Amino acid sequence: MLCDECNLNEASYTVSLMMEGQITTRHLCPECMARVNTHMNAQTVKTLLSSIMAAITGERVASAQEEEEEDDLNSPACPRCGMKFSQYKRSGKLGCPACYEAFREQLRPMLLKIHGRVQHAGRRPLCTEAAQRSRTRQEELSREMALAVSLEDFETAARLRDQIRALAREEKEAQP
Amino acid sequence: MKENRIMVSSAIRLARNYEDFPFDLSTSPIQAEECVSRTANALTLSGVTGFELIRLDGGDERALKALVEEGLISGDLMRTAETAAVLLNRADSVSIMINEEDHLRIQAVTSGLNLQTAADRCFAVEDALSRQVRFAYDEELGYLTSCPTNTGTGMRASLVLHLPLLTRAKQMGTVGQIAAKVGLTVRGEYGEGTEALGDLYDLSNQVTLGRTEQEIISTVTAVGRQLMDMELTLRENALRDDRLRLEDEIYRAQGLLKGARLMKLAEFYPLWSSVRLGAAMNLLDYSLPLMDSLLSMAQPNHLQSFYATLPEEQARAECVRTALDSGR
Ligand SMILES: [Zn+2]
Ligand SMILES: [Zn+2]
Repeated sequence: MLCDECNLNEASYTVSLMMEGQITTRHLCPECMARVNTHMNAQTVKTLLSSIMAAITGERVASAQEEEEEDDLNSPACPRCGMKFSQYKRSGKLGCPACYEAFREQLRPMLLKIHGRVQHAGRRPLCTEAAQRSRTRQEELSREMALAVSLEDFETAARLRDQIRALAREEKEAQP
Repeated sequence: MKENRIMVSSAIRLARNYEDFPFDLSTSPIQAEECVSRTANALTLSGVTGFELIRLDGGDERALKALVEEGLISGDLMRTAETAAVLLNRADSVSIMINEEDHLRIQAVTSGLNLQTAADRCFAVEDALSRQVRFAYDEELGYLTSCPTNTGTGMRASLVLHLPLLTRAKQMGTVGQIAAKVGLTVRGEYGEGTEALGDLYDLSNQVTLGRTEQEIISTVTAVGRQLMDMELTLRENALRDDRLRLEDEIYRAQGLLKGARLMKLAEFYPLWSSVRLGAAMNLLDYSLPLMDSLLSMAQPNHLQSFYATLPEEQARAECVRTALDSGR
């Protein structure tokens, strides 16, 4: 596999990086890996230097943990499970189905980034009893159809197939 | 079938959650248990048969790990073993994992290129369940999942492909980048990080929201077929331009697999890859189902359940030799 960074050399390292609150896995070649390391070192050095400055000037530098607590304080929370949006940003996992409603506005841009779209398409729960009955009937018919095929009664099988198709069409049209 | 030369297996996985529970139940044993019994009861009430309920806590660890090796349950399910369970239908390779990352992970595996069959099996289970229970669903965001990367259809469609010549041509990095452009991802099926032991790759959809299940299945199938055509062309070229070297590699690998008395797993994968290539190109007379079943048979926990008295490396050599001698 080629290096994700330069696309030239064979990747020999797999690293997990925190980017925009999401953990991403990247495959890197030794050269690019070295660059990431120096970048990290530069960051560490900067933190260390600023703590020296803080000691000299008497200014307080917030620790990472304090920043997290600060974050949690101002972050919206899910009314059902109590999860804060800032907690989600750290873990990547939501607390309960109601979190989606509570954080809908914040989640939309993230979902757009992940999936490229935010409107669901595809299967949906069978919400009405009529739809459920229709689905049950379709399943019965397809079992009968399988039986007819195994008995080589293709005429019956074809008739059953048409019935199933008609039910499926009705079901689709009945959906909002 | 042409597809079987490249496509080892197809799998569909649907993530579903109950509306009234938090996603993570690993520290709520009472709700977790309710989740297990609700699912099992819903299945029974819908008249679905053939499923066996297995609790991970207190279960036979070796047998459970063998299920992971067969791909019937996920390794992640073992991580929440205290509260997790699985409803397993061995005959159809369908499993309903309960209390993994989501409340339910409905999964079906088939051999070869068969995503539609796997999907139909999952949908049948889901339909049966949804007649008795309500899943968390939102008109805009679809089926709601613990991690927003799965929301929408909650569906992961994946193909396992055997691509030895594309690997040797050092094209898999580029393939991965191209696949990413259409919302798919390519990973090594076995091994850590960038490794793809046995030249086996898992091609699956990354994107789950805003595409229908059919669109997802079509995209994965179409890209899978393109990779298949590329690999088949490279195989034809190798046969035309470099037949002696290709045959040398394949027959040597066969010799090692049949002659070895001790074999490490790491040694097995590349040899297996060469012999499967030989079988797929009709240079060797082994059936592809036999070759593919060797993949799970040669795994440590599987070996232990069949050759309990032998050390692992010896058991693997025995197992592989017996299988190849039986031929088909
Ligand atoms: Zn690089
Ligand atoms: Zn919540």
